[in-house]
Amino acid sequence: MSQASPITTREAGFAPAYSPGSSKAFLSENMKSRIGGGLESLGYTLAGMVLLLAVWWLGGRMVAASDDLYAFADFAPVPTLIRLTDMIRTGEAFQITVPSLFRIASGLFWAIAIGVPVGILVGAIAGFRKLTNVPFQFLRMISPLSWMPIAVMAFATWEGAIVFLISVAAIWPVLFSTASGLRRIEPSWFKVARNLGARPWHMLFVIILPAISQDILSGIRLALGVAWIILVPAEYLGVTSGLGYAINDARDTLEYDRLAATVVIIGVIGFSLDSLLQLAIAKLSWLRSS
Amino acid sequence: MTNGAHIQTIGVSHTYKGGGTRALGQIDLEICPGEALALIGRSGCGKSTLLHILSGLSLPTEGKVLVDGTRITEPSPSRIMMFQAPSLYPWMSVEQNVGLGLRFNGKMNEAGRRIPEVLELVELGDYAKRNVQDLSGGQQQRVALARSLALKPEVLLLDEPLSALDAFTRHALQRDIRRICKDLGITLVLVTHDINEAVMMADRALVMKADPGDIEAEIRIPISGDRLPSMAAFGDARRELVAAYEAAAGMAMAEAQSFIPQDSLNTPTPIDRLAAN
Repeated sequence: MSQASPITTREAGFAPAYSPGSSKAFLSENMKSRIGGGLESLGYTLAGMVLLLAVWWLGGRMVAASDDLYAFADFAPVPTLIRLTDMIRTGEAFQITVPSLFRIASGLFWAIAIGVPVGILVGAIAGFRKLTNVPFQFLRMISPLSWMPIAVMAFATWEGAIVFLISVAAIWPVLFSTASGLRRIEPSWFKVARNLGARPWHMLFVIILPAISQDILSGIRLALGVAWIILVPAEYLGVTSGLGYAINDARDTLEYDRLAATVVIIGVIGFSLDSLLQLAIAKLSWLRSS
Repeated sequence: MTNGAHIQTIGVSHTYKGGGTRALGQIDLEICPGEALALIGRSGCGKSTLLHILSGLSLPTEGKVLVDGTRITEPSPSRIMMFQAPSLYPWMSVEQNVGLGLRFNGKMNEAGRRIPEVLELVELGDYAKRNVQDLSGGQQQRVALARSLALKPEVLLLDEPLSALDAFTRHALQRDIRRICKDLGITLVLVTHDINEAVMMADRALVMKADPGDIEAEIRIPISGDRLPSMAAFGDARRELVAAYEAAAGMAMAEAQSFIPQDSLNTPTPIDRLAAN
């Protein structure tokens, strides 16, 4: 290096000095505020749950008191929760859930396997985007359940038809989120990578996929929500397993406590899966919040 | 020690696609190995276009660019460009960003030695594991510089990478980039609006004019060692460059005021208004 100059090294852009005491006080304040915020949030959650249970209990009382509806009194919280405990203890809850989870996983697998690459093409190639815009928007607006008769004819098994319906419902959020993520990538990232000698596969795996991972995961989260909604009516098709089948079966056998317990299971699992994905998004996020 | 490349452009001109503006007229220039050259001129004079052509990221409509006698047709890791934004990848750490070129070129076996070496060179040795989003603008440009140097380039092309930084950070980086390029023998080409920056960093400045972009004047800046604005030689070079810049722009620096509406110049400032009351 050459001789020194009046500007000292490292002077540029380095953090200013701070006093440890003030930093500790700041941390303590920050922690207090975070704990306070967490407790407040927990309070609201518990209050919301209590409100839901109260409405449910009130509805159950009204149904039990009605001459026309008293046969449905088992929908009330107490019989439902007793039956739910019983279903968990005997393993029935697990037994009806596993096939549904398998179908959801298969449907999402195909939605991601097709949606992500096609989304990348839509986002990257203007001509392909223009070509597919109207057909994709048209297909997206068709209710997935209206494909049911075609799915039944096209697939040899009920299982295949259900997975197809879930995939058809789940593919659009994945595809559109991927495409929109790709269009928002900083153009200079490609220029720099090209200049540094990136090959096409480097562009895809080192630049594009990490850059749009947030968008893909958000798309998958939306897709999961749609797929979970489609699952129950899709399982009304010929199969003899799964949560949808269990609901149908409970209705046919007039076991309304079992029907309500299955509805609770659907809600809890759906909520848990969504929360898991939210956690995964937060964990994998590379964007600093502030 | 790298050996900087010799660059020559022969009849390079460029017109944007779709019958657009002719950005460059006909540029013939030669840059010696290890030389630091500044391209200076007003917005729209084609200096960034010329830099992109020298990097291989754009191709000229006519003419050719020879690097060490070989015609270039695409970008190469031996000619690295730094942009106004550091363009770091925010999901990667400092060392991952710096090692990216090595990874792309199958030289990861050199990463263990090369990455700490270049991080030390840009004075960020302790920051290897940090996420680039945690760094200041100046530190991010230092990471971008380290990333550029990791591949031992023969040519470093700067497209105003220091323009968004504060004066102190900019001055420190101007000095450090010049020092590093001189020490390593790298040919440096920089595009700037800033006359001081050109005098701080370049051995020679080419003043460009617009419509179409062309070289209007060539000013040599023969100051050895580190440069300071307080030096007499710095002032002389600056004056010469200002004169050439004004001649190329067709107006004096003071005339830039004519772009400001006279009304706004006559409007009293809040302090004047308070004093009047």
